[in-house]
Amino acid sequence: MSLHRADPLDHPDVRNASGIAFVAGYAASVGLMAIALMVTLRHEMSYVRFVIAVAILGGLALLAQAVLMFRLDLSGGQRWKTISLLLVVPLFVLSIGLTGWMFHTLYPRTMLDFMQVQGSGM
Amino acid sequence: MSRTAHRLIGPEEPLWAPHHPEADPVSLHTLGFWLYMMSDALIFAALFAAYAVLDHPYNAAGGPQISDVVHPVAAFIQTVIIFTSVFAYSLAMVGLKAGNRAFVIGGLVAAVLLGAAFLGLELRDFAVLIAEGATPDRSGLLSVFFVLVATHGIHMVFGILWMLVMIVQVAMKGFTTAVVTRLLNLRIFWMFQASIWVCVFVFVYLNGAYR
Repeated sequence: MSLHRADPLDHPDVRNASGIAFVAGYAASVGLMAIALMVTLRHEMSYVRFVIAVAILGGLALLAQAVLMFRLDLSGGQRWKTISLLLVVPLFVLSIGLTGWMFHTLYPRTMLDFMQVQGSGM
Repeated sequence: MSRTAHRLIGPEEPLWAPHHPEADPVSLHTLGFWLYMMSDALIFAALFAAYAVLDHPYNAAGGPQISDVVHPVAAFIQTVIIFTSVFAYSLAMVGLKAGNRAFVIGGLVAAVLLGAAFLGLELRDFAVLIAEGATPDRSGLLSVFFVLVATHGIHMVFGILWMLVMIVQVAMKGFTTAVVTRLLNLRIFWMFQASIWVCVFVFVYLNGAYR
């Protein structure tokens, strides 16, 4: 056991709490999701443009949360959390994207009546 | 326990000073928990992948389409509630920084109440769908919809239970190293729920409503 004793409230993970950053993160998250809702309700874009628009808005909301709420940065205390997140995000996107792509190319080749319902799908 | 009881004793540097030769137990625990949450994110990735596969009219099996079961405005209200709950927890962390026990407990109570409101709305939505015959066993599409949304909801339940435990621990033990470490881990867990909900809201509710 360590002979060192220190106030846990002086730990960098505690000290990085910032009321201003939390307010900014909250406002950015709510605002970006409100814009995404408006884009959805207006229904004025093609489906592909809509997907790109809401993906960008969602990505910005997640970025705002990572930086302003989680307080991730490249400081000594947060560096490995930031790096691990940056390494997980591609896995997250690829596992969803590749699985979806694989099955949506598989459906037309394996399901005889697929073409009858394809028109109302993606 | 009072703050002064934790003040530096003995060696000249605090344990969490940069380049301290000994391991910092708080950082070790929070990094370990952070890595656990990254693996939890991949569980959601698997569920989102299943949703991407089954989100097709073919998999509705003649039953309701996704556009029939999602309501983006109601989901946006849930979104604001969960963001506000996370914001309340964040304010509790500002209170922790100041060593204010009442502020921390107040923030945790607000986060619990808002989290419970979020879950209440989710359960009401599920009840309405089930009453209309849109049950999880109706089609593959509905199965994955219920599993994905409910998995997030179960995380919320555990987060609320954890917060209730922490309210008691903060009140009884104060800001010991163990309690502060648990509060920091719970901060990661609770904020993570809001980030996953952004994906659910965009990928399921908004995308589903645009068809």
